[in-house]
Amino acid sequence: MIELVDLTKKFKDAYAVKNLNMFIEKGEIVGLLGPNGAGKSTAISMLSSLLDPTGGDVRYDNKSIIKSPSAFRKVVGMVPQEIALYEDLTAEENLRFFGRIYQLRGKELNRKIDEVLEQIGLTDRRKEVVKKYSGGMKRRLNIGVALLHDPEVIIMDEPTVGIDPQSRNYILETVKRFNEERKMTVLYTSHYMEEVEFLCDRIYIMDKGNLIASGTKEEIKRILSSENTISIKAERFSTDFIESIKNHPSVNRITVGEKEILIIVPRAVNMFSEVIRIAEQFHIELSSVDNKAPTLEDVFLHLTGRALRD
Amino acid sequence: MLWNIIKKQGLIFFRNPQELLLLIALPMVLITILGTALSGFMEAGSSPITVKIALIENESEPEQVDRFLHEIEKELPPNVLVGIEENINQSMPITALKEVFTDESMKDFVELDYVNPSDRDKVLKDNTYTSIIEVPKNFTYELLKYIVLGESEQPSLKINLNEGSHVGAGIVNNILTQFQDQLSLGVFLDKNGIDPSVIAVSNETVVGKMTTIDEKGSISSQAYYSIGMVVMNVLYIAGSIGSHAFREKRSNVFDRIIISDVSGWVYFIGVLLSGTIFAFMQTIIVFTFSWLVFGIVWPDLIAFFATTLAFSFSVGGLAVLLSAISYRINSVSITSFFSSVVVTLLSVLGGSFFPIGDFLPFFQAIGNITPNGASMSAYISILRGDSLLDIGDHLIFLLLFAFSLVIVAALCFPKRRISK
Repeated sequence: MIELVDLTKKFKDAYAVKNLNMFIEKGEIVGLLGPNGAGKSTAISMLSSLLDPTGGDVRYDNKSIIKSPSAFRKVVGMVPQEIALYEDLTAEENLRFFGRIYQLRGKELNRKIDEVLEQIGLTDRRKEVVKKYSGGMKRRLNIGVALLHDPEVIIMDEPTVGIDPQSRNYILETVKRFNEERKMTVLYTSHYMEEVEFLCDRIYIMDKGNLIASGTKEEIKRILSSENTISIKAERFSTDFIESIKNHPSVNRITVGEKEILIIVPRAVNMFSEVIRIAEQFHIELSSVDNKAPTLEDVFLHLTGRALRD
Repeated sequence: MLWNIIKKQGLIFFRNPQELLLLIALPMVLITILGTALSGFMEAGSSPITVKIALIENESEPEQVDRFLHEIEKELPPNVLVGIEENINQSMPITALKEVFTDESMKDFVELDYVNPSDRDKVLKDNTYTSIIEVPKNFTYELLKYIVLGESEQPSLKINLNEGSHVGAGIVNNILTQFQDQLSLGVFLDKNGIDPSVIAVSNETVVGKMTTIDEKGSISSQAYYSIGMVVMNVLYIAGSIGSHAFREKRSNVFDRIIISDVSGWVYFIGVLLSGTIFAFMQTIIVFTFSWLVFGIVWPDLIAFFATTLAFSFSVGGLAVLLSAISYRINSVSITSFFSSVVVTLLSVLGGSFFPIGDFLPFFQAIGNITPNGASMSAYISILRGDSLLDIGDHLIFLLLFAFSLVIVAALCFPKRRISK
């Protein structure tokens, strides 16, 4: 349905996106993961025909969106990372303005406004100006605007940034519901791993403009099938202990927290006895040493050497 | 689609009372303050110089005339006496002097106070008087004896001129000298039996007449400042719309509009029309205020609306240019600079605060190549009675100015993101 072929964007000497290849099938929820500055928003701007690529192409039903964006624009809804609304207008006025822009008129427009307000739970607050809304309500309206014209594809660029857990949950449930009820295709970018794990069928992981992994959640997690993640917990760690663990020949990656250290080691190595030995050597009182099931966060750590929200 | 963009802009203005207050109420307040405070200076036909004169009469003039007539009635034949009586009653000197100072042409700048002789010392100490004219006792009686009978010496008035008021004192001195000359001429004519009406010197000749240099009708200070404040404040509409447009870009609303497959050029025209329409509305609202409050009526409504439309269009051009530049440089600084610096500069050059061009023709020429200055000249011409044809140059300039701005704005507007 949608294909990104060697999509590249270069700003001066730096690549924001380099040779990105992706595909999204009809009715899928696809996650695009990456830390800040990974190139997600640039990729989305090119995909949604807002930014001309330096190279490559984006195809919708085998037609180039870059050369002829009109057909795609009619079926796509965009939820930008920013609150792209008129704060001085009410929710209803915002929906009416954008509805008219989508060529909706008269009764059809009124029906769609009522429907969207119902879906995003703002029917009772429809007459209030947006600037009086909470962050979560603004985010919901930001999504609502993109739903007015019943898009086949919806692109959501970090739609839950900066909102309370309750609103975040509401948005995630709403996206899931739209996908299930309307077979809406969703491209969802986030740097919240749990959101992507909850929503997405398939995942693409980007870092520094490059695609570094892709597949279903299970496929991506299998990247760590030859490795184990071990959690070491204690009240405090000494520098010598941390250095000793870090320099151990079997430790591939290490993430140091205040009271927990995560290490990624080959599955074949029995690291438990080694950890206990080193703790005794540096007089560290361990509270636990566990083998953790790999998460997407672990995969990202494994692939990039950084946590997603770094 | 365009109507949707314009309506949205209207709602945004409506929801920002502070901005609305600045755009609508501020010019009204400024017109009231400036128009009232500077009315004395600005009124055509009036003068910035005020001459305050105190006239002290030590004896009643009619009584002196009666005394003189009573004295001569036994010595002269009745028919001669009747002739003298008629002449005297027509030209009592102090009465004539009072008439000079209270003449219609002098009333705007001469204030004549009749002061009781007992207040003489008080008045002499009062620095607000330009001149104190004291008529001594028997002045008219002595003068009549001098004129009619050739007896006695010609009496004099006592004049005190305020040295601190050079111009005013000079004016009074000039008037009195001319009055004296006229009086002497009258005496000469009378003595030589010449009919004074043959070479009568009119009051106007004596005092001179204040006329406006411009032969066309003049306008009041309220009218001047109504125009000045309108053409200045309407420029702020361009800044406001420019900053609103940039906010649309920064918050990705513009992207949202583009993604809905609306051409960027539709948006561009929407900004242009919004600027034009709201500038037109603001102009009409403030001029309606000046009509209701100060009674400023436009003699030629077609010329008025043509000027308003042309000016509004140039403000629309400014709005779309500011929007395009702020999109291009990705900063709102250009609209802030325009509203804080450029508008003030244009207003000074255009004559919104002061008719600078009346004193410096170079500035008049510069002012006329600003949108507000050209509009101001056109509006003033209309109020002075000019027709649409007479203001054609200004209208053509405004339209060319607007078209130029639109073309530059179209070149600046980022095409890459709006290209289909």
